[in-house]
Amino acid sequence: MKVKFWGVRGSIPVPGKSTNRYGGNTSCVEIRPRGGWPIVIDAGTGIRRLGKYLMDGKFGEGHGTAHILISHTHWDHIQGMPFFSPLYRRGNKMHVFARQQADTHLQAVFASQTEDPYFPVPLTALEADVQFHELVEGARFMIDKTAVQCTRLNHPWVAMAYRLDCDGASVVYCSDTAPFTDILLEHEFIAKPPLPGELIPASMADKLAAMRAGLVAMCQGVDLLIYDTQFTVDEYRQRPHWGHSTPDDALIIAREAGVKHLCLYHHAPMRTDEAQDAILMATRWTAKQAGDPFDVIAAYEGLELTLGDDA
Amino acid sequence: MKVQFWGVRGSIPAPGPETNRYGGNTSCVSVRSASGELIIIDMGTGLMHLGNALLGTEFGKGGGKATILLSHAHWDHIQGLGFFAPVFIPGNHFVLRGHGKSSSMLEGILEGQMNPNFSPLYTLKNLGASFDVRAVVPGEPFDAGALRVTARPNPHGSTTALAFRIEEQGRAFVYASDAGYPDAGPTAEVLGLYRGAHVMVHDSTYTPAHQATRRNRGFSSYEQAADAAIAAGVGRLVTFHYDQDYSDEDVDALRDACRAYLDAHGGAKIELVAAAEGMELEI
Ligand SMILES: [Zn+2]
Ligand SMILES: [Zn+2]
Ligand SMILES: [Zn+2]
Repeated sequence: MKVKFWGVRGSIPVPGKSTNRYGGNTSCVEIRPRGGWPIVIDAGTGIRRLGKYLMDGKFGEGHGTAHILISHTHWDHIQGMPFFSPLYRRGNKMHVFARQQADTHLQAVFASQTEDPYFPVPLTALEADVQFHELVEGARFMIDKTAVQCTRLNHPWVAMAYRLDCDGASVVYCSDTAPFTDILLEHEFIAKPPLPGELIPASMADKLAAMRAGLVAMCQGVDLLIYDTQFTVDEYRQRPHWGHSTPDDALIIAREAGVKHLCLYHHAPMRTDEAQDAILMATRWTAKQAGDPFDVIAAYEGLELTLGDDA
Repeated sequence: MKVQFWGVRGSIPAPGPETNRYGGNTSCVSVRSASGELIIIDMGTGLMHLGNALLGTEFGKGGGKATILLSHAHWDHIQGLGFFAPVFIPGNHFVLRGHGKSSSMLEGILEGQMNPNFSPLYTLKNLGASFDVRAVVPGEPFDAGALRVTARPNPHGSTTALAFRIEEQGRAFVYASDAGYPDAGPTAEVLGLYRGAHVMVHDSTYTPAHQATRRNRGFSSYEQAADAAIAAGVGRLVTFHYDQDYSDEDVDALRDACRAYLDAHGGAKIELVAAAEGMELEI
């Protein structure tokens, strides 16, 4: 399988010279099983360029099928969707997957994204055939020959991590999540965060431990782990309730799950290319000191990795 | 009045080396009066960068006040609000004036993009700053400190977008983004709003060829911007709200073609500037 990064940024797109190398588009990764249709994870602004690229092929003729797995519906993970050109070509088939919400249907969430007055083209006016699929954590299903599983993460309003297996290779996409130590993020708004390191109630700790165990189990032995590493340690201490991790948190999960490559992802909007280089170097150094057998890379726009029998 | 550009792009932010010179952030312009009042027009992603620049002023200490004029609620004009650092500092106060059947409907629109499905902020009420959201009455002037503001709607695809005229001591600045005129051009009221502006920032999303095939989107080409500038007798025209697919070279070409069009259609005296992120204009 091939894994290609079209958007690697978190929170908000950041155009400008200081992000030219890593890229300023928000989250979007394309997984391409050998000889198969694209499976897209998240629809940040990066999906706009992916759409243009796809229109040069079968999608341009209205004969394409894409599956889009959404980690959660925060803006930076869906804001590119209305700019995904294949949606405007009759005949294309789109399957959108995301976690089931307690009170709102997924289709309604997406419909409200583009209804008047927010966007000129409502969901109902799209030419492609769009189907929505609601998932519960732990669900396992097939997309053609690709096996998909998901597990929940520690993020406001809840996000999902996905694992994809095909062509003898495996990848986990884990964005967005806070570490599973200081705060449980679900549906309430948290105005005043606890101090990281403070003792938390046992019921919360149990829930976090179960969530973490689910993630580590799902990441077991994968070829590639893509992980939300938006924060530095200092940034995390100030904003543990924002639902993002540090590279150190990612290293611990990668180590425990025995992954082959760890990919830093969902870079902070204000992070310059030089600052991101420094984070990558520091993380590699930490991994080396710890004797970790896996490689650490940092996602950038245009990065393409080949895994499994595709190699 | 000092005008500064923080985002000049339309529809969706366009990062990448090919937009480094003009900038890839969506619409946001600030206007500072001689006496120091601040007006912010539109809240595209450029607003984040304006916010960071404001942290060194009274806004960093919770003593900031500004008026925000919202042309319309399409994403590229509101998506920066949750990333505008001054809104997280208690004590800052914003009067937001925009289009809406009522003030509560306008507030509801802003709430809609901040609901927890889409944003970790959940609601405007979680922002530390206070907001006074009011729908404007077209054609009825209001004051923002020493600045006098008038708004009028232009057709914009299936909706409308407000154009604003801001005056201070006989100097006039006009902001007219997202304007999809019919063949007849702007209405007499809107031309009246533009009339004699010293500087007019005008929607120039497309080349005429692109505009012709995408009319239903409700944007102007540089020709329509130039026609409006000539008809209203403005002093300086500023092209704005470039299509997300236009590279810096495309925008250079758009500006040059607009210059040639102005010269050939009786607008040779009108100065022309292509808006770029970071650019400042003294009026
Ligand atoms: Zn995110
Ligand atoms: Zn998120
Ligand atoms: Zn616009």
